[in-house]
Amino acid sequence: MKRAFIFLVFTCFYFGSYAKQIEVCPTCEVTTIAAGIAMAQKGDEVLIKEGTYKEHDLEVMTSIKLVGEGNPVIDGEQLGTILRVQTDSFSVEGISFINVGHSYTKDYAAILVVRSNHFRIAHNYLENVFFGILVEKSHYGVIEHNEVVGTKKSEANSGNGIHIWHSSDLKIRENKLHGMRDGLYFEFVDNAEIYNNLSFENIRYGLHFMFSNNDEYYNNRFTRNGAGVAVMFSKFIVMHHNRFEYNWGTASYGLLLKEIYDAEIYENIFEQNTIGINGEGSTRINYTNNQFLRNGWAVKITGACYDNIFLENDFSHNAFDLAFDGHLNGSKFDHNYWSDYTGYDLDKNGIGDVPYRPVKLFSYIVNRTPETIILLRSLFVDMINFSEKVSPVFTPDNLLDNHPLMVRPEVILE
Amino acid sequence: MRNIFSWVSIFLFMFLTSCSVEPEQINYGNDQCDFCKMGVVDKSHSAQYVTQKGKQFKFDAVECMIRKISDPAVKESELAYILVADYSNPGNMADAKTATFLVSKAIKSPMGAYLSAFSDNAVAVKTQEEVGGKVYNWEEIKKYIAK
Repeated sequence: MKRAFIFLVFTCFYFGSYAKQIEVCPTCEVTTIAAGIAMAQKGDEVLIKEGTYKEHDLEVMTSIKLVGEGNPVIDGEQLGTILRVQTDSFSVEGISFINVGHSYTKDYAAILVVRSNHFRIAHNYLENVFFGILVEKSHYGVIEHNEVVGTKKSEANSGNGIHIWHSSDLKIRENKLHGMRDGLYFEFVDNAEIYNNLSFENIRYGLHFMFSNNDEYYNNRFTRNGAGVAVMFSKFIVMHHNRFEYNWGTASYGLLLKEIYDAEIYENIFEQNTIGINGEGSTRINYTNNQFLRNGWAVKITGACYDNIFLENDFSHNAFDLAFDGHLNGSKFDHNYWSDYTGYDLDKNGIGDVPYRPVKLFSYIVNRTPETIILLRSLFVDMINFSEKVSPVFTPDNLLDNHPLMVRPEVILE
Repeated sequence: MRNIFSWVSIFLFMFLTSCSVEPEQINYGNDQCDFCKMGVVDKSHSAQYVTQKGKQFKFDAVECMIRKISDPAVKESELAYILVADYSNPGNMADAKTATFLVSKAIKSPMGAYLSAFSDNAVAVKTQEEVGGKVYNWEEIKKYIAK
C-alpha cells in the first residue's frame, strides 16, 4: 500500500515536471499570447499576467491551459474572433476578452470552441462582443462563472451570450449574461444542464432552446428580457426552480412553448409578465406547483395542445388566469389555488366545495379582439363575467378545476 | 373657395394614405414572427408579406414565411408584396419571386433550414461556389421547404 502511494507520488512528480508553465507579460521573455500558445506543448499552462494584449485570431490546437493572473485583457480591436480552440481537454480561465468584430455573415466570437471534448471555460469576463462563447460540435464541457456583456446598441448587431450548436453533455452554471440577442442559445443540444445563471436585459430571449432534447434548466433567473425563455421544437426538457419576471410588452411572455413534447415544469415563479406561459402546439406537459403572480395572462394556451396537466399551481392576482383557445384535448386543471375563487369550504378540508372556472368570458373576447382590453375593470365586464359564471354558454363546459385549493400551496425556491 | 380646397386636400390625403399598400419596415428586436412567434432580430434572414388589403406579416426566417404561405388559408395570389432579406446586403429586402435562394449547411438560418435569399443571382451562385449547397428559385424553394 505504502509502496503504491510512493509510486503514485513519484509518477505525479515525474509527469508534473514535464508540464511546464509559460509566462506571458509585456516585460517577460514572451510578450504575446500568440507566441506563448505556439510554444506550449500538450499539458502546459500559459500564464497570462496583467496587461492589455491587442491580439485576435488566436488558435489553440493542443491540450493546454490558458490562465489569466491579475485580470489580463485581450483586446480584439473589432477585427474578428479572439480565441479559437479546437482540441480536447483544454481550459480558459480568468481572462477578459473585449471588442470582438461584428459581421452579418460570419459568427465572430470571443471564445470559439469547435469539435472539442472535456473543456472548461471559467471566470472570464467578456465585453463588447458579437458572440460571447460559441461552442460547436463539442461534448462534455463546463462553462461557469463567466460574465458576458453585449453592447445592445443596435438589436440585430449583437449575437448570443453563450451559443451552443450541435453539442451534448454540457454544464453551464453561474454565468451572468446581459445586453445580448439571446443570453443563452441552444440549437441541437442534448443532455445539457443549465443552472444558477442570471440572464437579463437581453434583446430577444434570456434562454432559447431549438431542436434540443433531454435538457434540464433550474435555479436560473430571467429578468426584463425581450421575452423570458423560448423552448421550441424540443422534447423532454425539465424546467424547475426558475424565476421568469418583468417581461413586459405587447408580444412578451415569461415562457414560450412552441412544438414541444413531454416536458416537466415545476416550482417556478412567473411574476409580472404580460403572459406567464404561452403554449402553442405543446403536448404532454406537466405544470406542477408553479407560482403565477400578477401577470397579464398567467397561462395562454392556443391551438394544438394536448394533455397538458396543471396540478397544485398558485394563480395569484393575475388580470386573467387563463386563456384557452380551442378544445380541451385532454388537458386538466386540478388542485390549483386561484385568488379569484369566491367559493366556500364547508367541510374544512382545504378544498373548495364549488368547482372554479378559470376562463372568464372577457378573456375570450380579448383573445378575439385585443382592443377590447380597454374595458378591463369596467362594470360591464364584471357583469358579463358574472353572468357567464352563473350559466356558462361560451366557455368550454369541462374546463374547470374541481378541487380548487383554499390556501396557497407552498413553493420552495432556492 | 379656400375652404373647399382644404377639404379636398384633406379628403385626398385620407384617401391616399388609407389606400396605399406598402410594406412596413421591420422593427428588429420588437416585431414577432407571425408563424413561429420568435422575436425578429436577424437582418439577413427576415421575410415579410403584405396582403392586398395592406395587412402586414413579418417573419424571422424565410422558411417561416414559406411555411405560412403554404397554409391553404393564405392565397399567394392575394399578396401584394412578398419580400425576403437580401443575405448579401443585410437590412435590405428583395422581391421573393425574383430572388435566388441558397440552401447551404455553411450558413445557418434562424429556423434550421439553412436557407438564405439573394436579390442578385450572380452573388448567390458566387456564394454557392464558396460555401457549397444548392440554389433554388421561388417556385422550387417552396416545394423544397414543403417537403
